[in-house]
Amino acid sequence: MIKDLVTDKKHLFADGANTELRAQLNRSRRAVLVNGDLVNNVRSENLGVSARVYENGVYGFSSTAEYTDDSVREVLKAASENAAFLAKHAGRGKGPHKAMTDTACFTARDIKDLEQRAYIEFAKTVDAYIAGKYPDLMSRTVVAMADSSEKLIAVSNGADVHWLQPRSFMYIMLTAAGPDGQPVELYDVIGGYGAFDANFTDPSLAYERIDRLYDKLRQKVNGVYPEAGEKTVIFGGKLAGMLAHEAVGHTVEADLVIGGSVAGPNLNKRVGTELVNLVDFAHTAFGKPVPLPVYADDEGTEATDAVLIKDGILVGYMNSRETAERFGMKPTGNARAYLFSDEPLIRMRNTAVLPGKSKLEDMIASVDDGYYLIDTNNGQADTTGEFMYGVTFGYEIKNGKLGRALLDTTISGVAFEMLKTVDMISDSMTWVSSGMCGKKQPMTVSMGGPEIKCKVNIGGR
Amino acid sequence: MIEELKNTAKNAVGVLMGEGADKASVSVSHTVTHEFNVDGGEFSLFRTLFDKKLVMECIKDGRKGTVSQNRYDGETVAALASSCLESAASSMPDDAWDFAPLSENEDFVLGEVKPDTEKLFSRCRELVDDIKTRFPKIMTEQMIVCHKEVTSVRANSNGVLFSTHKGSYEAMLMFSGHEGEKASSFFISGAASENLDRPFIELGSIAKDLENVEKQIHTENIEGKFEGTMVLTPSCTGELIGGLIMSFASDQGLLSGTSPWKDSLGEKVADERVTISLAPLDGRIVCGDRVTGEDFRAENFDVIKDGRLNAFALSLYCANKLGLKRGLNDSENMIVAPGDRSIDEIIASIDRGIIVGRFSGGAPASNGDFSGVAKNSFLIENGRIGPALSETMISGNMAAMLKNLRGVSKEQVADGATVLPYMAFDGITVSGK
Repeated sequence: MIKDLVTDKKHLFADGANTELRAQLNRSRRAVLVNGDLVNNVRSENLGVSARVYENGVYGFSSTAEYTDDSVREVLKAASENAAFLAKHAGRGKGPHKAMTDTACFTARDIKDLEQRAYIEFAKTVDAYIAGKYPDLMSRTVVAMADSSEKLIAVSNGADVHWLQPRSFMYIMLTAAGPDGQPVELYDVIGGYGAFDANFTDPSLAYERIDRLYDKLRQKVNGVYPEAGEKTVIFGGKLAGMLAHEAVGHTVEADLVIGGSVAGPNLNKRVGTELVNLVDFAHTAFGKPVPLPVYADDEGTEATDAVLIKDGILVGYMNSRETAERFGMKPTGNARAYLFSDEPLIRMRNTAVLPGKSKLEDMIASVDDGYYLIDTNNGQADTTGEFMYGVTFGYEIKNGKLGRALLDTTISGVAFEMLKTVDMISDSMTWVSSGMCGKKQPMTVSMGGPEIKCKVNIGGR
Repeated sequence: MIEELKNTAKNAVGVLMGEGADKASVSVSHTVTHEFNVDGGEFSLFRTLFDKKLVMECIKDGRKGTVSQNRYDGETVAALASSCLESAASSMPDDAWDFAPLSENEDFVLGEVKPDTEKLFSRCRELVDDIKTRFPKIMTEQMIVCHKEVTSVRANSNGVLFSTHKGSYEAMLMFSGHEGEKASSFFISGAASENLDRPFIELGSIAKDLENVEKQIHTENIEGKFEGTMVLTPSCTGELIGGLIMSFASDQGLLSGTSPWKDSLGEKVADERVTISLAPLDGRIVCGDRVTGEDFRAENFDVIKDGRLNAFALSLYCANKLGLKRGLNDSENMIVAPGDRSIDEIIASIDRGIIVGRFSGGAPASNGDFSGVAKNSFLIENGRIGPALSETMISGNMAAMLKNLRGVSKEQVADGATVLPYMAFDGITVSGK
């Protein structure tokens, strides 16, 4: 755990300014096997301290990789000087942020830092299983990895925080030769919140997922390209999560709203059918912990759920303290930084479309000619709400029944138009927490959703 | 600072060898960043960052370990050396691991190593004002201008000892065009420079990008689909061709055996007018790497020369593993040779096609198939640029595309990191709603 050198420096905080002082340690462990060769075997650590000072409507920030009493004092001084420089040249005539609840939020629990051997041996065992059982594969990649972020935050106004988030995953990527000899690939990710030894107690627990992945890959090898054009589709839960995060979530981050996103003119307007509800959860959803819980953010704001779409109406944004004051909204704890040297930005946490009441089988039965889209490898969206996802696995739906598997394709649409075509939402829920969101800095996020029936453009070949 | 880092690196190599490594390599760096942020058109943040990095690698009995930390005091070096040896002992032996042999050591100094912070702020304010004055429909979501000073040393047990001290200025801006409630897609533009002699708006294609985005506020949709010509703007050329090199000519595609080019060295893989280089030493590249991440002196090389696959961009490990030559640098400083026609002449030759400013899609599939949304795009009809487009998808195959070249422009854009022309390819499927 990080030694606390920040809490006792509060007496150095300048009067009349908002100050945040953050010590942070990020760890990463990774072993990568490609066709049995260990091509990547890396352990890295990033420890340091940063300070941010808000004065006259602008921020000064400084960070250093040194973490000593002296370096903590130095970053505080440098951040104050930077704030003063910018306030003098480009100040906005604003006072400090509103007072916040100062309930401390200490949730960090120590985790065991495994030796590198543990990751390599686990990956080797899993790789040997794949190599032995499926010798016909063109190639296989197995990744065993863990990362963690620990933060110790002292603020002049709000909640002091001690927080630790561990994640661990295995990535399995299989490639088979298609009928024309060209490679066809598919991957799966196993794991989530928690240290590697907690999530991966026995390699054999991964075998069922690998068998299922291989079976899907075989179906894909004999798959077809979808027909291009606007189609009725059913998004699987992973794609619904991508929709929540990429297509809607980014447009309702308040800094992007200020920058001109489509959510600006659509606040309190209908953006989807009445079935559509979308929430950025802080730490608990449906009575259970969410995949990546956040209890307070890096500005010392206690984390609460941000309700974004309610019964099809856009009702809110995700905010920092500064943007919440600008929009007259309540900050919900979305200001987060990735490394000690990063300033807090408005980021999503656990963003999800809420489940409905339909059954997946009824949804499939209701489609005469369309597609069931299950797996995705990437997604991007515009500030206009126009989105694109890569689809790596799915099925045709013909006359209410699943047909042939699909080869790689791309779908696109405009979020606030596409959500108005949603006519069925399933009662299930799928979360994904392995991704990194990119927005100046990376950030750990999770996303989720039920199956959703809607209309989108599909790329075909 | 350089002598301190050299001593740290040499000491760390010694500690690794003392712990029993057969070979060792160490890199140490210190980075100072001064950065101004403008959000929503207003100054919001001034940051100064002081970062360190120590990477220690060792090979023992053919087994390799790599560890890194952002400190390099004596205690950290000792602890990290043990961890590095432990990591290596856990891995599998592989004769392909190696470090660079001794060549001629050198100390490099590049660019303006110390920032002029007041002038940087002035240039940033000037860029904000230039955009407001010249491009009134543009809304800047975020603008970041910075100076980075990097001092770094690489040393290994073969006697390699390189140092680099460099400083450069960078500007990055994300923006969109607005008229009432109508808005364009966002666009990201940027450039790097060794000094602050010129206004940021004159660098790279920043002014042209702002001009194009103002024209993309009002868009039209294409009905149905057609096969036509895709013209990539210079920045989109970098995005798509860079992705292609990464997929087809780099470690992952070659190691896994999935690259369509795996047996094509020396063969024709593109139209003969295509020459693609990775060239960090080119005079138009700002502070390009002089040393690779594997301790070699960086050299420019052609991946594709006159349409033939000339070299792969491989790491030393991958090259040894596959019995191929390593890439002579590991930069992303791509230079595409210019053609002999202007972009206006190329567009005039196209019956139906699309100009693509940004590609929203994933990496191409292993076989080269790609599809995605053509962002910041314009229709081309009968040799003329038509309306801006939205909700338009493009698809094709990267390998086939390089052979279906219509033309390369004689104009190139140098943004400090790359030097790229417009490229036009036939046989691309363009589909609307």
